[in-house]
Amino acid sequence: MDNTKIFVCENSIDGIFTAIYQAWSSGYGHANVKIEEQCDKNNYSNMELFSEYIIVKTDFDKALKVSKSVKNKISQEAFDMVCRAALSDYQGKGDLIYRFLILGFHMGGKIVNHLSHEVVNRIFKLNRYVNYEVHHLLGFIRFSEQDNRILTSIIHPKNNVLSLVTPHFADRLPNEKFVIFDGNRNICSLHVPGKSWIIAEIPGIEKNDCRDIVDDEYGNLWKAFFDNIAIKERVNPKLQRNNLPLRFRKDMTEFITGNAISTL
Amino acid sequence: MIIQEGMSIQRKLEILSDAAKFDVACTSSGVDRKGNQTGIGNSLACGICHTFSADGRCISLLKILFTNECIFDCKYCINRSSNDVVRASFTPKELCELTIEFYRRNYIEGLFLSSGIKVSPNHTMELIFETLRMLREEYHFNGYIHCKAIPGSDPVLIEAIGWYADRMSVNLEFPTAESLKQLAPHKNRKNILKPMRQIQLRRESNNEYLGIHDNKQPHYNAPVLRDDVFGMDSIYNKGPSNDNSLLKIDDVNYKGGISLYKRPSIKRDKFVPAGQSTQMIIGATEESDYQIMSVSQSLYDNFNLKRVFYSAFVNVNDDSNLPSTQDGPPLLREHRLYQADWLIRFYGFRISELLTEKNPNFNVFLDPKCDWAIRHLEMFPVEVNKADYRTLLRVPGIGVNSARRIIAARKTAVLGFKDLKAMGIVLKRAVYFITCNGRMMYPIKLNEDFITRELLTANDRLPYGIDRDITYKQLSLFDDISFKSDYKQDAKTDIKLVPQRYSPI
Repeated sequence: MDNTKIFVCENSIDGIFTAIYQAWSSGYGHANVKIEEQCDKNNYSNMELFSEYIIVKTDFDKALKVSKSVKNKISQEAFDMVCRAALSDYQGKGDLIYRFLILGFHMGGKIVNHLSHEVVNRIFKLNRYVNYEVHHLLGFIRFSEQDNRILTSIIHPKNNVLSLVTPHFADRLPNEKFVIFDGNRNICSLHVPGKSWIIAEIPGIEKNDCRDIVDDEYGNLWKAFFDNIAIKERVNPKLQRNNLPLRFRKDMTEFITGNAISTL
Repeated sequence: MIIQEGMSIQRKLEILSDAAKFDVACTSSGVDRKGNQTGIGNSLACGICHTFSADGRCISLLKILFTNECIFDCKYCINRSSNDVVRASFTPKELCELTIEFYRRNYIEGLFLSSGIKVSPNHTMELIFETLRMLREEYHFNGYIHCKAIPGSDPVLIEAIGWYADRMSVNLEFPTAESLKQLAPHKNRKNILKPMRQIQLRRESNNEYLGIHDNKQPHYNAPVLRDDVFGMDSIYNKGPSNDNSLLKIDDVNYKGGISLYKRPSIKRDKFVPAGQSTQMIIGATEESDYQIMSVSQSLYDNFNLKRVFYSAFVNVNDDSNLPSTQDGPPLLREHRLYQADWLIRFYGFRISELLTEKNPNFNVFLDPKCDWAIRHLEMFPVEVNKADYRTLLRVPGIGVNSARRIIAARKTAVLGFKDLKAMGIVLKRAVYFITCNGRMMYPIKLNEDFITRELLTANDRLPYGIDRDITYKQLSLFDDISFKSDYKQDAKTDIKLVPQRYSPI
């Protein structure tokens, strides 16, 4: 009897690539394997009865082999697309990437244009989804200055975009020490002048450390500017909400009123 | 005039941001510049919106006036000299600190500096120049700066500022010289177009120069490209050894030259890299859409502008000589103008295709592209799998991105309607104008009345809040028609209601 083999892997680029390596080399056949990444959204109450679950331990060498062959045999562009898809919060992205790569190794670099194929189209949309959020955050991230001049920021992105937004700020603020904290994943990126930025997992960070200091003089000036720049005759909350979704606002200085520090 | 001494920064910020809010061009686009590792800041060509104010408009830059003191008395302007409002001025240092501290906290993408006219155009421009110079050279700010060129100021000042700013703009204010004369008695058309031309020519010669620069020739060997249009270089290069290269000017010893107008000492080799823009006030005067768009088109053609902005008029002064905006500013009209502006800049349309002198205003109900397509059914349907890029762009529901996607995707597969939908083409509109593989999605007669009615019932969503100009009564009238069995006859007579235009002011 043909059982589907389900490779369960860590929710990261390396984890997914390791699983792809194992699934590929397992010899079960593409139709008989599936890749499932472990994520918080999945409550694992829906396990398949007749499938065999194989736990994949992340192996950086194997992951590196996969990423090398994606770059060499498909294209750098395809590799970037896969990476961004792997950073998205889409459940089932592991298997989607697997199917994308099967097709990619077959078609080569032109796969990125093959938008009429369902798998390619979904990868393309995931990319766009992640890119939009990254672009939003480049503008919506707010730093507040702590007493020691370190700039801190807290964000709650849907996708795991920290590694995509940080380079922008490292380039922009080369002489600043800054921390961007992802409140949904308990990870943060750190930048110190003269060194390359890193991403660190800090489970016990005091989240309020990243908050606005209530009396930041410039925070108040910014709020004053924000209120005065609107044209009263054109007030249009729906348009504002359309352009700036509510979910970003709890982390933005100009929408945090008075002393009320929103709960995390 | 009320001038308060010792005003707090907070109060100044309130007054001067409030006074700047009617400037529209809060974009930070047009220049890609990496950080320079020493200073602060970089810039992305796509621009970044940092927040959206209560009116739904993007805030990208610290949009602010240097001062709202003004010697001009433009009828439409809140800061006109005859108004009794609180006046305030920044100092260059205050503005620099504000910009840097806002920028560090990622509130803004840069500075958009405009100003009322204090003492004289030249005096004001000198203050602006000093602010920009400090920001770039003392605060090492490498982010985006948009700056207004004040009509009537000395070309030397505009030249000097152009090396610090990323974008400059001169406000055209009104499409015709007559309106300008009427409403802005201290401004004149010539003074507005002159700096515009100057910036354009300077950019062109600079680009040409950089073209040579790119060939990796050493600077000192590069031939001189003189810009004698305004005799600026002769003024500018007052130094004694005005020899071979523009870029060498840094090294020139300014003996007796006007030291204030020294070329930036930091390396900035592009003059106004993000180009220039302008803005027009819509609905304060009687110009038609056709006149407005013709002016825009010639600005794009002849002055090489990056953007023309349109600003729906708000009668802030309750001036009885100007139209009342009690029912709200003409937002739908502004929206249609922007749509047409995009058609001209990115879709290869000419204004003569969209409007004529006899038919000078845009359709209230249909966007300009649909309106055009319906009047040119002989060009449709278009075969998606074969048509070239320019033809695809003309199809309602296909934009720049989706046209590119179609071109890329059809290299690997023959596209069907399902694929188009998945790729983000707006089939609701496009379906009347395209075939996939020689077939339309379902049998459609290419009939002007029929398609108009279908497009109207598709009820395209207008941006929130600007639909109040439309009278819903007339829309429901059409809805009734489509229920009739023999609509053709009625349609012939009733359809005339469709091209209902804006009521004259």
